[in-house]
Amino acid sequence: MTESPILRDLTWVVTAAAAGLLLARAVRLPPMVAYMVAGLVLGPLTGLVAVGESVERISEVGIALLLFLVGLELSLDRIRDIGRVAVLAGAGQILVTAAGGFGLATLLGFTPVAAGFIALAVTFSSTVVVVKLLEHRGELTSLHGRMAVGILLVQDVVVALALTVLAGIGGSGPAGAVAVTAGLGRAFAGTVLLAVVAFLAARWALPRLFAWLARSQEAVFVWSLSWCFLLVLLAHALHLSVELGAFAAGVALAQLPHNEDLVRRVQPLVDFFLAVFFVSLGIRLDPGAAAGSLGAAVALSLFVLAGKPLVVMLLLPRFGVGGRTAFMTGLYLGQTSEFSFILASLGLAAGLIDHALLSLIGVMGLATIGVSASLIGAAGRVGDAAAAAGLLQPLGPPDPAGPLPPDAEPGGHAIVVGMNTLGRRLAGELVDRGHDVLALDVDPAKLRGLPCRTMAADAEQPAVLAQAGLARAGLLISTLQIEDTNRLLAYRARAAGVPACIHAFDASLVRELEELGVAHLMVSKHEGIRQLATELRRLGVID
Amino acid sequence: MAGVALLLFGAAGAHILARAIAVPPIPLLLLAGVALSGTGLLEPVLLEDSLILGVAFLLFATGTELEAGQTAALRRATLRVGMLQIVVLALLGSAVAGLLGFGAVESAYIGLALTASSTLVGIRLLRSRKQIFEPFGRLVVGVLLLQDVFVILLVPLVTGGRGGQAGIAGDVAAIAVLLALAWSFRRWITPRLARLDGDMEGMLLVSLATLFGFVTLAGGLRLPVVAGAFLAGFALARFPFRSMLRSRLAPVADFFAAIFFTALGALVSIPTAPELGLAMLFSALVIGATTPLVVWISERVGFFSARPALEAGLLLSQTSELSLIIGLLGMLAGDISQSVFTVIALVTVLTMTLTPFLTSDRVVWWLMRLHPLRAESRSPPPAGGHIVMLGSGTTGMPLVETLLAAGNDVVVVDDDPAVIARLREADVPCIRGDASDVEVLHAANAQSARLIASTIRRPADNLRLLEYARGVPVLVRVFEEEDADRIRELGGMPVLYSEAAAESLMRWLHRAPPRSLRRSPQSAKNEASAKRNPGSTSSPSSTASSLSTRRLPPGS
Repeated sequence: MTESPILRDLTWVVTAAAAGLLLARAVRLPPMVAYMVAGLVLGPLTGLVAVGESVERISEVGIALLLFLVGLELSLDRIRDIGRVAVLAGAGQILVTAAGGFGLATLLGFTPVAAGFIALAVTFSSTVVVVKLLEHRGELTSLHGRMAVGILLVQDVVVALALTVLAGIGGSGPAGAVAVTAGLGRAFAGTVLLAVVAFLAARWALPRLFAWLARSQEAVFVWSLSWCFLLVLLAHALHLSVELGAFAAGVALAQLPHNEDLVRRVQPLVDFFLAVFFVSLGIRLDPGAAAGSLGAAVALSLFVLAGKPLVVMLLLPRFGVGGRTAFMTGLYLGQTSEFSFILASLGLAAGLIDHALLSLIGVMGLATIGVSASLIGAAGRVGDAAAAAGLLQPLGPPDPAGPLPPDAEPGGHAIVVGMNTLGRRLAGELVDRGHDVLALDVDPAKLRGLPCRTMAADAEQPAVLAQAGLARAGLLISTLQIEDTNRLLAYRARAAGVPACIHAFDASLVRELEELGVAHLMVSKHEGIRQLATELRRLGVID
Repeated sequence: MAGVALLLFGAAGAHILARAIAVPPIPLLLLAGVALSGTGLLEPVLLEDSLILGVAFLLFATGTELEAGQTAALRRATLRVGMLQIVVLALLGSAVAGLLGFGAVESAYIGLALTASSTLVGIRLLRSRKQIFEPFGRLVVGVLLLQDVFVILLVPLVTGGRGGQAGIAGDVAAIAVLLALAWSFRRWITPRLARLDGDMEGMLLVSLATLFGFVTLAGGLRLPVVAGAFLAGFALARFPFRSMLRSRLAPVADFFAAIFFTALGALVSIPTAPELGLAMLFSALVIGATTPLVVWISERVGFFSARPALEAGLLLSQTSELSLIIGLLGMLAGDISQSVFTVIALVTVLTMTLTPFLTSDRVVWWLMRLHPLRAESRSPPPAGGHIVMLGSGTTGMPLVETLLAAGNDVVVVDDDPAVIARLREADVPCIRGDASDVEVLHAANAQSARLIASTIRRPADNLRLLEYARGVPVLVRVFEEEDADRIRELGGMPVLYSEAAAESLMRWLHRAPPRSLRRSPQSAKNEASAKRNPGSTSSPSSTASSLSTRRLPPGS
């Protein structure tokens, strides 16, 4: 067991990925770029690692899980929330960009099939990169953030269809038009069947099953994953792409309540597997082959970096979106997608494109993602400067909301974690005293009937605390009887400079919490004894 | 991909069944694996990958739980209970195996496999019953982790990477090197890693890089994967990084654990009758030896009284996922036959399945009857009209003194020997025993008391007390509103210490409000006007309406 190939390979891959990630953070590049560069170093540059069967399998699982995650995010609320603007703008953007990409590729001398792949590669923007950047900059709830996510979701649906079509074409091999049409027909029939199965399950079987399992998070998690793989197997049997099955499985689960928790659980798994995928992709890239078509790569990258955002910036105001929002949204969408690579890999496997084109698409992806991430970093300032200089006038009227994001918090509120009896009492009393309170608990049932704002989430996650506005809060209170979480909350409150009041439910915990600089400790047992004494006094037992 | 899907189904099915019959999932995962191996659809490469990665992640996760957060007294008790259990079970197990005709190496493996108790099962049960912060819960967690450390460190010696005397010395040296490395990492690098807070992806990848790095290093030192993975976890097990990592690591570890146990099951052969018999014999040995041992030691050390000691012992009476891993390593190294591995797996299945039943209230109370010393009292039984204080702890001592000062007759019941010792020094009549035990209440003559004040932790115990002590006013300390309601229904008087804690916070806020905490000017005005006109109350509707508009829409 000590001489196992998978451990050796994974050690190289994961270490390189980790090192790459840390470097990328330092220069503010997205991790995807770092992983591929790490792969380039491990593979073509030093020849240390070759992609073996085990790593290959992990990569495949990674892609399936990514699409599962994307599907999970696609709850009906989200879709309704985004509205027709995103759908129309998204569809328009896809058509225009694909046409433009195809035209440019043909001009550069590529065959129709190759140009078609390039058009596909160029059209989609990276859901993973954009969402991560938005989250990192706290702009997920901003108008341009939601618009970008909306367009990306529309793209994801189209990607799923593209994958199906590809599977249909690939399945029948390089044969005549009749065979291709038959293949496509079979693929579409299969897709419909898959959709029906997913819909029926989401309606009847899944809600009951998950409600029953709800208490055990581990069971829900394992079941969600096996549901995903069930549909993966079904898709495989129907000659559809594995990814489509995973996507359908995710969408089916997205309609269930509390899917945010599931998303949070699947995320680390996706992070790990996807890192392996991108590093192994980098290992398989052939920069030498791409160097041959350097001119084409540069031209296409420029199209993606400048042309695609421009399309969006010009389209959105037609639907009534303000100038600055359109600008910001366009800027966020100026890169190619992880699906560009996935589609290209599938194309290679189906014999439709060659290795050189795969490498070209890979290099283009690296370049556009890297550059656009840096541009986005400067986006805010660039946007304001452009608006001030009146450059955005031709795009449309100025935004009614102004530069401030519409739901900014004034801050100074009290965050109360844990809605047990103590938490509920505190929330009520603080509200009575005129404070702004946000009540947090993992269990939505405990949040009913409270006189303040509530949030059903796990306070251990830093993203949750950020969403609760910890940085601007006036006070953090934890009423939990969980030692570890309390310590972590105290630590994070101190790091954010917010005073913390922690429930020390056992005398042994007092010292550690004091060391963490807690402003006030509720040593409930001591208080309980004092209260007992009061009761005894009332009963006349003591004076 | 089909193989992975199959393993996941097996795991999912096992989890459902485990939920339905209230049994830990691990034994059922093994059985699922056995069932799946019959289909012949699991390729050996996939199984091998699943096993290796599973072992690495499982032990990594276990290693991260290693934190020295115990008091000195608890550490002593943990050490004694843990060490004695390891030594006795290992010797007993090996001896019985030898007597039954197994070879020296196989007996050693069996002994080692029988030693470890399951961290996963134990901690899961404690968490689900919310007993993990009770003293016996802390002891059990400490003992489980101690056992893990010992067994893992002993594994290389048993599997013999090099063989012979020099080989063993080499192994010990290798372990020492790896340990030193892990310790230095934990001391100097892990604190800096806390800076990654908020970068979830980075935190996860850095941790996994550490895991694989240590595993490769262990491989280079001819140590098994278990040692490398465990020490990697240990290297990262430092607050705050460990707590930050947990939520990211848990899903990945759960995924690989599910696949691991199912894949492991695929390696288990269908047991024959003699194998089943052997498994039952060894299971009886584990259960029969562990509990009395733990109870005896706990009393010796003077750490617990009867009931918590019994509960701790029963909670430790099973074999572990580590036992399975030891069996696996032995089988792969050719040291033991598949038959022995099957026996070890069966013992694990049997003992793990029985644990929830054995640790249930009914069984515990039934076994308590066999305990010789339930209520220990050195003073004569009280006459009546006295105050009974159930469970005082060190916090309750001042109250006892106040009661005595007011001229009352007081009898204190507690199971903490330190508290009892102090009370006896102060000549306070007291009884050492479990406050929810009817025998103890009898000895305290609770039914003739003037008043009973209970600080008993578990709600079920308080309900039992109320049933017994009808007619006597009973004050019960409770935390949750629902528990208070139930106490009231049975005629008791609940004292909500959550209310007291809330009041302490509000007093502090009134005295020293933090400057960062904002108050809405509307209610400040209300409060000011209420102060001016003490008769009028501030209108609740205005504050309520201004707050209701800010409530977040559902699902966002």
